[in-house]
Amino acid sequence: MSNSLPEPENEPQSELAAELAQERFVFTPPIDIYESEEGMVLHADLPGVSSDTLELQVQDNKLTLFGRVKTPVPEEAQLLHKEYEVGSFLRSFILSDQVDYDNISASMNHGVLKVVLPKAQRGEARRIPIATN
Amino acid sequence: MAFFRWGHPWSPLGDLEREVDRFLRGMNLSIHGIRPGRQFPAINIYELEHEFLLTAEIPGTDPEELELTVDAGLLSLKGDRNDVKEVPDDKFRRQERFRGNWQRTVSLPDRILEEELHAEFNNGVLLIHLPKAQQPEPRKIRIVDQQQSPSDTDESAQQTPEPPKPKPRNIEVHKEEG
Repeated sequence: MSNSLPEPENEPQSELAAELAQERFVFTPPIDIYESEEGMVLHADLPGVSSDTLELQVQDNKLTLFGRVKTPVPEEAQLLHKEYEVGSFLRSFILSDQVDYDNISASMNHGVLKVVLPKAQRGEARRIPIATN
Repeated sequence: MAFFRWGHPWSPLGDLEREVDRFLRGMNLSIHGIRPGRQFPAINIYELEHEFLLTAEIPGTDPEELELTVDAGLLSLKGDRNDVKEVPDDKFRRQERFRGNWQRTVSLPDRILEEELHAEFNNGVLLIHLPKAQQPEPRKIRIVDQQQSPSDTDESAQQTPEPPKPKPRNIEVHKEEG
């Protein structure tokens, strides 16, 4: 295996990177992103991915989705007509600091991932007591 | 650079790709981008010994709302996808996924048992089984020796009757829990 991933400083080599080393190629899934009451909502088309085969990772300000796909047909099947390649999905996003990282939620439904990125609440201005002596 | 910056347009995709590239540098991995203008849904057809298989990527479709019909060698798939209907256009920051009505019609290979088609739907992937009809045994054609009295009828002259045309019918899609 000749894929030694250069490790940026203070970023441990993730399991995800190790997993990706198993893949020959990956596909960029199409996405929709829109603003809603609750924050930003992201939909990604990941046909063939279930909640068990999806890795969703937030590291620092980066959101990475990796969906592993297994071919639905037996190995010995001969391909007669091809409009798409079967393979895993990968896409990464840079998040702004206005996302409430602790409350990101995600769900899968018929091969579509929905991620809700809530807007971080601006903290109330806090009065700082000044001690006098 | 900030990707989810409120009230601002998104930064170009290039930043993202660079980010991913950095992440994947040194791996034997090629990244296939989104192919725009691809037919929806994309279909593959495979052959096995006893059946053909048709697979289609139809993410975000409820199997109950998927319409499959087969008639005289044509298989039709029909549906509608709009899970973001309620979102006003000006709220979108990015829109790459297919929306709206779609329909695909596929000519089936010869010698399919249309009555025995069955389909599964799993995580947005449709899989249709198309069982092959049994190949008839090759028939021996007897050669009648003219010098003997021809007592036997010539089998090759017998026409096989045309099978009656089946009516179009709907195929039930079984959802696999998974």
